[in-house]
This record gives sequence, structure tokens and C-alpha cells, in this order.
Amino acid sequence: MSKGIIISGSFGEIQVRQKHGQEIELGELLIAENKTSKILLQVYDLIYGSQLSSSNLELVSGMKLEENSDLVFMDEKLRNYNLALLKNLITITPKTAHSSKSLPDFFSSVREVKKDDLTFITKPSNPLYVGKLRSGSKVLDVDIFLPGKKVFSHHILIAATTGRGKSNLASVMLWDILDNDYAGILVLDPHDEYYGRNKLGLKYHPKSVIYYSPEPPAGARSLKINLAHIKPNHFNGVVPWSDAQKEALTAVYKRYKNRWIEAVIMDEEIPGFMEGTLAVLKRRLLSLLDLDYYDNKIFCKGVFDTQAGQSTINDISDDLEKGKVVVIDTSSFAGNVEILIGSLIATEVFNRYKKYKNKGLLKEKPVISLLLEEAPRVLGKEVLEKGPNIFSTIAREGRKFKIGLTAITQLPSLIPRQILANMNTKIILGTEMQPERQAIIESASQDLSSDSRAIAALDKGEAIITSNFTRFAIPIKIPLFEEYVKDKVKEKQNFLDFSGVKFG
Amino acid sequence: MVLNLVKFSHIADCHIGGWRDPKLKQINTDAFFKAIDISLNEKVDFILIAGDLFNTALPGIDRLKDVVRKFKELKDKNVPVYLIPGSHDYSPSGKTMLDVLEEAGLCINVVKGDVVNKKLRLRFTIDKKTGAKITGLLGRRGMLEKSYYEELDREHLEKESGFKIFMFHTALTELKPKKLEKMESAPISLLPKGFDYYAGGHVHIVEKKDLPGYKNVVYPGPLFPNTFYELEELEGGGFYIYDDGNINRINLQVKNVFTINVNANHKIPESVTSEIIEQIQNKEFNDTIVLIRVRGTLESGKMSEIDFKKIYDLLNEKSAYFIMRNTAQLSTKEFEEIKVETSSIEEIEDKLIEEHLGQIESGWDKEKEKIMIKSLMTILSSDKKEGEKVYEYEARIKDEIERLLNI
Repeated sequence: MSKGIIISGSFGEIQVRQKHGQEIELGELLIAENKTSKILLQVYDLIYGSQLSSSNLELVSGMKLEENSDLVFMDEKLRNYNLALLKNLITITPKTAHSSKSLPDFFSSVREVKKDDLTFITKPSNPLYVGKLRSGSKVLDVDIFLPGKKVFSHHILIAATTGRGKSNLASVMLWDILDNDYAGILVLDPHDEYYGRNKLGLKYHPKSVIYYSPEPPAGARSLKINLAHIKPNHFNGVVPWSDAQKEALTAVYKRYKNRWIEAVIMDEEIPGFMEGTLAVLKRRLLSLLDLDYYDNKIFCKGVFDTQAGQSTINDISDDLEKGKVVVIDTSSFAGNVEILIGSLIATEVFNRYKKYKNKGLLKEKPVISLLLEEAPRVLGKEVLEKGPNIFSTIAREGRKFKIGLTAITQLPSLIPRQILANMNTKIILGTEMQPERQAIIESASQDLSSDSRAIAALDKGEAIITSNFTRFAIPIKIPLFEEYVKDKVKEKQNFLDFSGVKFG
Repeated sequence: MVLNLVKFSHIADCHIGGWRDPKLKQINTDAFFKAIDISLNEKVDFILIAGDLFNTALPGIDRLKDVVRKFKELKDKNVPVYLIPGSHDYSPSGKTMLDVLEEAGLCINVVKGDVVNKKLRLRFTIDKKTGAKITGLLGRRGMLEKSYYEELDREHLEKESGFKIFMFHTALTELKPKKLEKMESAPISLLPKGFDYYAGGHVHIVEKKDLPGYKNVVYPGPLFPNTFYELEELEGGGFYIYDDGNINRINLQVKNVFTINVNANHKIPESVTSEIIEQIQNKEFNDTIVLIRVRGTLESGKMSEIDFKKIYDLLNEKSAYFIMRNTAQLSTKEFEEIKVETSSIEEIEDKLIEEHLGQIESGWDKEKEKIMIKSLMTILSSDKKEGEKVYEYEARIKDEIERLLNI
């Protein structure tokens, strides 16, 4: 059924008069049919239109308001109407779909999009499910998949104001990725919300997620990291050291190698540095690593340990390399400890993949993505002004080595433009703040210059995907995680072979 | 029961009958004897053996006789032995000599329980003398015991009061040393919390650690090293004695160990021979196990040109108890195209399995397929036992495979 007629405009700014009784929404997808092709259009603005002059309209409204008269418009359907502004998304021919380069026929009618119009949307290889195609607020029965391997290695940005469904989207993506083994995902979880310790979460997936926590529930792993694994460069972006302190760190590492933290804490000989500098290093290391020192002994109170956790970093890296999802509960840590842990793992994984590339082994490895909440903590302009860190290195060079970032933030404007531009897939949920929308629009893979209003109007769970790997910016509706997994949760089959246990 | 002082020995990984060479095999047994004698002298209330008492489920008669004699001595002195089967002495068919020893009243296998609401509910074995409550889970090859832990009714065990000991024969992820990082492991969170002592086995490391919710998690290491590498690393074995909260390590040095390490880089075989001889010339080696490790790349010549015969003769003249050499990391420029595999047999097997995963239509995921393949390899490589008839051997293997494949 026709929803309107194209009446004027230019390429990217097509004006449609809305048919009376029909409703056109912001973000809605419409089809204009030409002789040989169809053009998929999207509404980016709605305005009122009237055959009456504005002075007449003002007069009529005044009479209605002030004199309480029963005035009605003659032929109201014809005189007053809505106008929709549309942009071209894609031209669909029976055989293919390509970027639009022509206008739809003048005065042609537009109708709502149907599933049959969208047969060109196919499932890519290594599909990553993100939701269903959305036309305005209507959800179409068309599943949207991204090419997982590509989008993960070329970085993903998930941007939204709080409460618009960033974590829900990440949960849906992680659940989906667990079914496949083309990508290993490291999730630093500062809110302990993905595993599902006390609610529905990834732990209910038939293929178990690997979960580390300082207080692990049964079956999960205790998060313990051996001090010997930490090198001075792991603190980049974690702790702002002064130049003198940096030099001291390098010197002490050179002298004591993997015992360097113990050496600093136990006041071992480090010639050439002032006592004050070493005392600051010691104090900050004790505090950051949650260690105590008395009676010539180091006592480990937290995650970092002198004895335990010797294989943790390698275990996590191995699991990522096997295409598994590893969630680390960092909810009880200060932000910089979380980043230090992330830095340790990211460095190990990055170095491994660099080696694989040199040896020609990278092709057979799964892509690895590091999911970072509140990404500007490590990718923010302020942080990076103090020097690069492993995350900014991955943002710049990671895709060459099949390592990407999945950065989640409500403040994308804090991330330098160059890094934002490197994030080749952006999943934009409702974002009310104009500077944040602007930052995303300016770095989007498709032209979103007219979509600022549509982005602000995105409701909970609604999103727009702009990506180098999609043909147009795709509006989607992300399913609610609980609903999405409801039918997929399988009760784990009880393994009742207890051979060797003496019963009775 | 009111609990007074508790004193016990914690032994693991005796691997009696383990070494192929009779001289080394004897040391395993001697180390076991020594550990029992020390425990008796220390007047322990009981002894824990956390898996792998024997190196196989059905050990040779001679080794069995040795163990029975010692267990009998303990029984006569009213020192009970509580044990769990380990990955080596457990048998999927249930045919393990540990059962015979238990039937004879010489030891108690504490892996006892029931299945309640599809959960494994373990029962405590209570030591009569001290009231200590002991339970635990066996170890199986390929970490198959992990599924037992996943279905374990932990709450039931945790709410039991009293002095509790949990025995396990499993590598714990949190305590794995870097050198064993490829070893399959389980997180400690699978074990019940709040026990007074966690008596571990399986991983041949010496470790004593408190972790949140788990105090006194102890791996005593083997009573005697079981590989060349372990001999180099540990030199000797040992065990722990728990005495009312104090945990002390008892080192067992049955024989001395002397290691010769030679870097063969840029050398010819003759120089390597001379270097080794130089290191042993002015020393005596009474009752000493001598380990010779040669690594690196010879400048020229063949590896076989290193005159080990001459070296062995000299060491034997000096009364060395046993000589072992390891040239796994040795190569020569003349054969540079041959890559020397430095890994252990297990690592090579793991690598090969991983390379070929997914080629059979089993319906298993890769992890499960790996475990099943390894378990099948273990079963199929099992030797015919002493005194076992061919048909019995075949039936045992068939039975074990059927159990594994759940046919």
C-alpha cells in the first residue's frame, strides 16, 4: 500500500508527501519502485506541510484558541499533510543491490518495505547476529548478521547513553559468538554482568564461557596473576610515572628481570637512583598490586601473587587462541588494576599473534577481540597524550594481526578522531548528547550527516549499524538478552558416570 | 566426637613400579618405605595417599608384595591409610589393585558417596582415633574427573562440621607452575570450601598455599622423581606432615643426584666428551644418580660421536648408582634440516591430536574429542599384566573401551 508520493527534493533529500491515514516514522524504510529496480529509502526527518499560507494558519489557529469556534478545514486531507525527508540507501535490482546513484521516478509512490524486498541481505560467512532489521519502530522478520571475523578484527564501537542497551547488545553478541570458534573474546567486566553469577547470563550457554573472578563461583577460576608476569611496560596507560620513575623502572627490570617488583619492594640495590624515587615506586606498587611488606616478606592480599597464578596469563591467551570467550570479573578492582590486567593479557596476545604472522601461522588462528567497557579510560585523548598503551597500539595496528577492540562507551567524543575512524564498525544506540552524536557521525563508515535526529530518537534496544562491511547504515532492533536466550538455554546434561566412586 | 590433636602424613604420587629400569624402580619402593618409616617414627595418627600409589592399576607381584608388607606393618601399629585412586592406578573397568588392598583391610579408599538428585554426594570417612573427617575424589586420565567435580554436591560437604580433609588428584589451575601451563587443569572453585586441609596429588610440584576459602592446599610432589626432568628439577622427593596446624615438609633423598649440563654450541663431539669427563674426573659417585644433559648444536660431527661409552665406563668405575643422559635438545649442523623435538611424549601426542581434531564424525565437541582420544590411547597402550591371561587382557581392554564410549 502506498504511503506517499515523491514530490520534490534532491539526491539524499527526497521529499515525500505522506498519504492521509498512513503513518511514516523517523527512521522508517520505504521502497520506491522504478521500472527495472527498487530504491530503498529511509526517512530522516518529518515536517508539516499545508496548502494554506502561514499567516492564514496563524489566523485560523487564533480563532480556534481565542474564540472557541468550531472551525474545520475544508478538504482537510488535501490541504494539510505531513512531509517526510528521505535519503537513498540502496538500489535493488532482481539480481543485485548496489549503492544508489539515481533518483527514484518523480511523483512515484513509496510503500513500506517488505521482507521480499530484502533478499539481498544475506548471511555472511562467520555470521555475528546483532538483531532484526528495523523500519522506524517496526521490527521486520529479517535477521541481521555481520561478518564476525572481519568486524572483530577491524574494531567495533558500541556507543550509547546509559540505559540504552549497550550491555544487552554485548551479551547477545557474546552469546552468539560462543556458538562459533572463529573469534576469541576477552571481556573485562567491571560490572560483573555478563557471566550471570546470580541471573541469566553466559554461563547458561551450552558451550561454557571461561570465567575468572577474585571470588569465583563453583566451576569458575580464581583470578590470580603471578608478579613475575608483570613488566614495566604493562603500566603504560595504567599509572602515569614521571620520567625519573620510568627510568628507574627500566633499570630495575634490566637488573632483576622477573623479580623486579620484589626487588623494588624489598629495597634491593638499584644504583643510580634517588631514594625518594625508589620509595615512590615501592609505595605505588604496593598500593596498586595490593601487597603488604613487613618483616622482609611480601604478603599478597589481592589478585597479584608471588606464588600463585603462574599460568593465568598463558591460560587466558591459550583459551582466546582457541576461540573461546573469557570473562574477567573486575568489579571489585580499582579502574587502573582492571586496566593493568587487561594490559597484561592484551600484550601477551598481541605479541603471540605478531609472532604467528611472522611465521605465517596467523591465517589459521581465530580473530581475537578485547571488549572494553568505558573505553576512553584507555583510549581517551587525555590518556593517550601521556603516551601510547597496548590498547591504542591494537587500535592502530591490531587488524594486521587479527586482533581488534570492541570498545563500549557513552562518551565517544573523548576518543581521538583517528582511533574512532579506525573503528570500522559502529553500533550506535540512543545517544542524546549532541557532541557524542557528532563524534560518531563524523567518523561513520556511511554518510550519517542527516541522521543526528534519528540517533537521538533511538529507543532502548534500537540501533543503527554503520560499518565498512555493510552496504548501508542498517537500522536494527536488538533482542532483549533474556528473551533471545530463553529458548536456547539448555539444561546441562548431567554426566552421571561416576566410575571409581564407591556407592552404597 | 570431640577432636583433639591431629597428626598425619600426606604422601602422593609414589608411582611404585614406575621406572622401567629395575634400579630406579627399586628407588621408588625404597622412597615409599622410607616415607612410611618416618611417619611411624613421627607417630602420625594416619597416612593420606593422594593418588598414584602404584604406577598402574595392576602392578607387578613383587611391587605389590612390598606395599602389602608395609601396609600390614601400619595396620599392626594401628596407623590407618586413607587413599584415593590416581590417574595411574585408577581403572575404568574397576579392576585396580587398590580394591584388593582395601578388601584386605590394609587401606581405605575414601572416594565413597551416593548420587542424590543427580548430584554426587560424597560421604566422609571418619578416622576413629582423631575424629578427622576425610573424603575426596579420584583422578582420571584426561581430566575426566572434572565432570565429577561439576556434579559434586559441595554444599553438603561444606556444611559438615569438624576437622575435614579433602583429597584430590587433579591439577588446580591457580597453582599450576609456568612449566606445566599446558597441563589440563580445573579451577579450585570446583572443590568444596572450608576444609582444614586439601591433600593434593597428580602435579609433581611442591606447593603449599592458602587461597580465599581454601586453606592449606598442599601438593607434596612425588616421593621420588619420575622423569629425567623431575630428577634434574627436584633431585629428591618428599611429603608433608601435618601436626596440629603446623605443616612441615619432609625431604626424602634416597640417592644423591649429580647433574652435568653441557652446552654443545660451537663444539665438536670430542670436545663435548672431554668436557663431560673433566667434570667427573676428580669426583666420586657412590650411590649417586648421574644425569648428563647435552644441549645445543654441534659445530660438526655426529651426535653419536660423543663417546658416552667412555663416560659411562668412567662413571661406573666411580661407583655411580645409575647414569642417565638426555640429548633431546642436541643437534648438529651437519643435520640442520632435522628439527629436534624438545617436548615430552605427552606434548607431542597432544600436538598431533590437536592437529587432527574434527576428522571423525563423533558428534563430540573438540575438547571432548581430545579427551576421548587421549583416554582411548591410554587404554589401548595398556600392557598385559603379570599373570593376566590373553583373553582376560582382551576382555579388560574391551570393557574399558565400552565404558569409555558408553556403549
